[in-house]
Amino acid sequence: MFRIWRVLLLVLSLAILSYARSSTGSSVLVVLDPSLSKDNYSIFFKGLEEQGYELTFRAPKDVAPAIIQDGIASFAHVILFTPETKTYAKDITPQSLVDLLSQNTNVILALGSKQTPLTSLASEFSLILPPPGTPLISHFPERDTPATVIPIPVSSSSPALTSGLAPVWYSGIPFALGNNPLLVPFLNAPAESFAADTTEDSGADALVDAAEKGGEGLWAGKDMSVVTGFQTVDGGRVLFVGGVELFNDEFAKKEVTKGVRSGNAQFAREMAAWTFQESLVLRIDDSAHHKVNETEPRDKYTTNDRIVYTTHISKYNPATNAWEPFSGLTDVQLEFTMLDPHIRTALPPVPSKPGEYSVTFRVPDRHGVFKFVVDYKRKGWTHLHSSTTVPVVPPRHDEYPRFLSAAWPYYVGAISTSAGFVLFSVLWLAGDDRDQRKKKGVKAE
Amino acid sequence: MLAYSLPSDISPSTYVNAASLVRIVALGLISAAAISSRLFAVINFESIIHEFDPWFNYRATKVLASEGFYEFWNWFDPTAWYPLGRVVGGTIYPGLMATSGVIYNLLHALNLPVDIRNICVLLAPGFSALTAWATYMFTKEMKDESAGLLAAAFIGIVPGYISRSVAGSYDNEAIAIFLLMFTFFAWIKALKTGSALFGTVAALFYFYMVAAWGGYAFITNMIPLHAFVLLLMGRYTSRLYVAYCSWYAIGTLSSMQVPFVGFQPVRTSEHMAALGIFGLLQIVAFAQLIRSHVSSKQFQDLLFVSVISAAGLGMAAMVLLTYKGWIAPWTGRFYSLWDTGYAKKYIPIIASVSEHQPTAWPSFFMDLHMLTFLFPFGVLALFRQLRDEHVFVIIYAVMGTYFAGVMVRLMLTLTPCVCVASAVGLSQLIDTFVDPREPDVEQEKEGGDAAPSKQAAKKEKNAAPITGVGAIDDIVSTLSGASSPEKDKSGKTKAGIFGLDTRMVVLFNTAAMLLFFVLHCTWVTSNAYSSPSVVLASTNPDGSQHIIDDFREAYYWLRMNTKEDAVVMSWWDYGYQIAGMADRVTLVDNNTWNNSTRLTAGCAAHIATVGKAMSSPEEIAYPILRKHDVNYVLVIFGGLIGYSGDDINKFLWMVRIAQGVWPDEIQEPNYFTPQGEYRVDDQASKAMRESLMYKMSYYRFAELFGGGQVMDRVRQQQLPKQSPTLDYLDEAFTSENWIVRIYQVKKEDSLGRDLKSANGFAQGKKRKRSKPPVKRRALA
Repeated sequence: MFRIWRVLLLVLSLAILSYARSSTGSSVLVVLDPSLSKDNYSIFFKGLEEQGYELTFRAPKDVAPAIIQDGIASFAHVILFTPETKTYAKDITPQSLVDLLSQNTNVILALGSKQTPLTSLASEFSLILPPPGTPLISHFPERDTPATVIPIPVSSSSPALTSGLAPVWYSGIPFALGNNPLLVPFLNAPAESFAADTTEDSGADALVDAAEKGGEGLWAGKDMSVVTGFQTVDGGRVLFVGGVELFNDEFAKKEVTKGVRSGNAQFAREMAAWTFQESLVLRIDDSAHHKVNETEPRDKYTTNDRIVYTTHISKYNPATNAWEPFSGLTDVQLEFTMLDPHIRTALPPVPSKPGEYSVTFRVPDRHGVFKFVVDYKRKGWTHLHSSTTVPVVPPRHDEYPRFLSAAWPYYVGAISTSAGFVLFSVLWLAGDDRDQRKKKGVKAE
Repeated sequence: MLAYSLPSDISPSTYVNAASLVRIVALGLISAAAISSRLFAVINFESIIHEFDPWFNYRATKVLASEGFYEFWNWFDPTAWYPLGRVVGGTIYPGLMATSGVIYNLLHALNLPVDIRNICVLLAPGFSALTAWATYMFTKEMKDESAGLLAAAFIGIVPGYISRSVAGSYDNEAIAIFLLMFTFFAWIKALKTGSALFGTVAALFYFYMVAAWGGYAFITNMIPLHAFVLLLMGRYTSRLYVAYCSWYAIGTLSSMQVPFVGFQPVRTSEHMAALGIFGLLQIVAFAQLIRSHVSSKQFQDLLFVSVISAAGLGMAAMVLLTYKGWIAPWTGRFYSLWDTGYAKKYIPIIASVSEHQPTAWPSFFMDLHMLTFLFPFGVLALFRQLRDEHVFVIIYAVMGTYFAGVMVRLMLTLTPCVCVASAVGLSQLIDTFVDPREPDVEQEKEGGDAAPSKQAAKKEKNAAPITGVGAIDDIVSTLSGASSPEKDKSGKTKAGIFGLDTRMVVLFNTAAMLLFFVLHCTWVTSNAYSSPSVVLASTNPDGSQHIIDDFREAYYWLRMNTKEDAVVMSWWDYGYQIAGMADRVTLVDNNTWNNSTRLTAGCAAHIATVGKAMSSPEEIAYPILRKHDVNYVLVIFGGLIGYSGDDINKFLWMVRIAQGVWPDEIQEPNYFTPQGEYRVDDQASKAMRESLMYKMSYYRFAELFGGGQVMDRVRQQQLPKQSPTLDYLDEAFTSENWIVRIYQVKKEDSLGRDLKSANGFAQGKKRKRSKPPVKRRALA
């Protein structure tokens, strides 16, 4: 018996291990242009398969398998290595890709220097592409490769990337970034690089002109990005890569300096991990609120109550394929909002309880329908949003103080008047008898 | 001499018994008529709550019936005025709901499982019977039982009162008119008898009135005014002192127990008159006491001066307190009673309510019919005796007439007074002509032919509105001569009526007029005042009735198809109905103008916010909608079937109210054409065409006409063939006749774009700027 259990457990744990380590699913569709050979990208694809992803390959013009079937995404992740493909099957359009993202499917998209149907997609994500046929060029540092093949040092501070990564070989286009806060730049172009026409040099004059004007209208410098992520409001992630060669085996094996292999393989791996929602994935497990010294939530609170708000945040751990309580966030804030935040306070982690964040505060002296809002948006990380509606009501008729010290003059007045009335009545009734007789006599007359 | 013989063998007790039996039967029949004529609405339509405010009252009553009084008292409604919420217990007059609650519990205690809705629907007709009785009691104090019966019959069926009390019209006025009349009756009774008991009864009913209707301020000022006029007329009596003081002390203390009223009776200008008269009465009473003990002429003069100066000091103190802010100054609604243009200038929310408009003359006739001209006659008849209680009705008549002329809805307060005065007048007329005694011809100095000519003149004057002062004096003198036989016995009979034929002519005419009155009342009630306005009726070509039930269709759709906590934005007219019928959260509701003076600035801004959202272009409205968590927007559109009470016709009020808060962003002139016309067709102004309200109303409207002429049947204008487009809203529901249109507010775009360009992208449109300029700082 015991042994069977053990075996089962072992099988189970193996299954978990071999299972995809993404938090959203393991099926990956790779749309590969026929001009690119699958074998040239074996390191990247093998790496994915080793981690448990199930890769399905198709050409852009193939009808099956469709990326969206009956309005539902068929795969958890899509890789589009079609930088220069001009024609696609019906199911791949810029619109359908946006639709995919809204269904929490993740996409890796390799761009090319030619105008393709998917080029229009970039502007929807606030990426500004250079004119067609102008790849990134850099003559520094001096090296034996063509000017379009550039080693780029990884300087991103994003937690998605391991620090100290070797420079990556890059060949492709740069793109300027719009001011969309959902963009997550990972790899910027070197400061000395610029986008230019290499074959005909037709734009050289314009380039010089632009440079003299202070770089306006010029795709140049370190503000250009070559690898940029984008996380949609709904949580879907998409990775734009200016050149598909970044992923290929040749660049992965190529040495940057003598004896130092390029960081391409690991960089590609980590980028895929981010895009496929392995890393930097958070979620709010639950959130609760109650009055101080109580445990159950109320369906409404009274003004000036002291209440405790608690939330539990988990982080996805791809190594164990499990959600683990996560106390590493130090800058979470809680807002108590009615139209505007009436209270905005830090929501610190509770030291003794992993994953728990809690704060105690006093409800404002204002009735209305309030919301506990946790809105945590940091570049690269999953956006955390939680909103709990709770009415705040004025005190009940019997919850006001009974006696007020300020009202003592009125109490004294009321009591003294009552006492005076009783005294007067007693004196009147028990007054002199003869008076009454006199009066009666007068009346009788 | 008698014009016709009277049976002489009836004992006085038989006569008294028979008369009282007839009175009881008559009152019973009047009650039955009053109730049944109010049931047209139920018979023509169904047992349904009408209009707007009654829906809230109904909802509140349901809470009261199911949760009990204390929960109701502490009821905080988070679904109204989202997200401000509404402290219902402290912002309503609970009298109506409490009455229904008591009736409900009583019937259930008797094991009569009556639905709360039916109680609410039938409460107003039931109370109209009580009003008839209270009016009978009141008028009886003015003249006699026969006048009382006439007044009861008038108030029972007069359209001016029916308009507010048909079955289903579950509003505060339903019970308030009964309370008004009964309070006045108790006041008159207290004044006549000097009874503290009746003063207390008046105070208790006054309390009930305060708990039931904001119009209680009318009593609060009528009674002091009456007392003040009596003082000025030199009619101070200890009876007045007792009646007024017992009413004021108990009434004020008890009225302060209503949470919504609170300390207003001592803090606001509207209540200061009552307090001032209370003080004045104390001074006058004190002076009277002193005067009865002191005889010196000089001292009495001194006393007189000191009384005047004390009153002056009191006035000055009140003015100072008002100036210092201890007493709230007059509210805007008060000013709008004196200056009819005031509200339009300063408080558009109040002016936007149709029943706050000045009354048109035809509506006086429509609501009162022949009472319109019987009323002045009756008031004049009251001048003849001018007892203390007659002064009351005369003041009431003057004030009531003025207020009814200022605001349509105050017609309601005038109506009881009209009924009472008319009944007094008509009853005197009938008394005169039914009285069988004929004047003694021998004692007549002027000769026999003078009287008939007067009769002829009078007949004319009764049929047409009174024109000349001389003729009025004539009538008054005639009546005074004829209709008080007790007095006449001592004095000489100067004028009278001869023969049966003259009597019959007048009485026949009177009866015919009464008959026409009844016909008119029935016709008006069945045609004009019995529409629930929730359900509309139209007539098919073959004469059969066609029911337009779009409102309930749409509200039911909301109830069934949206999330329970969905927030629905609409113009405030429909707030109560959405809450009552659809059970959804609303942004603004009809409570706006009820209590606009007492709401916080936040609330006033809230309604303007909705106005702004409706009158702004989509991209400006959208952040407002998102901020207020709006899920659905509801508009009323009558252009398809010609329902004129739709939102486009109310739209200018939204613009004005929004302009009051954001004068920089919303300007009324922008919504007119350069020629100053209010148009919706292709000449409509840019602001108009881009406004959310316009777009929601006419979205996809042209599709209905299949390329033909697109016609708005309310405004009789031809619309462009291209309907407006919406980027930030989705059409969710449109009712059968397009009266109600509901739009769903879209979520923010998942890519952080504005929804307009997101829509353009989804429709495959190319971006306008394919190569955006690079934003980089120039090198220094």
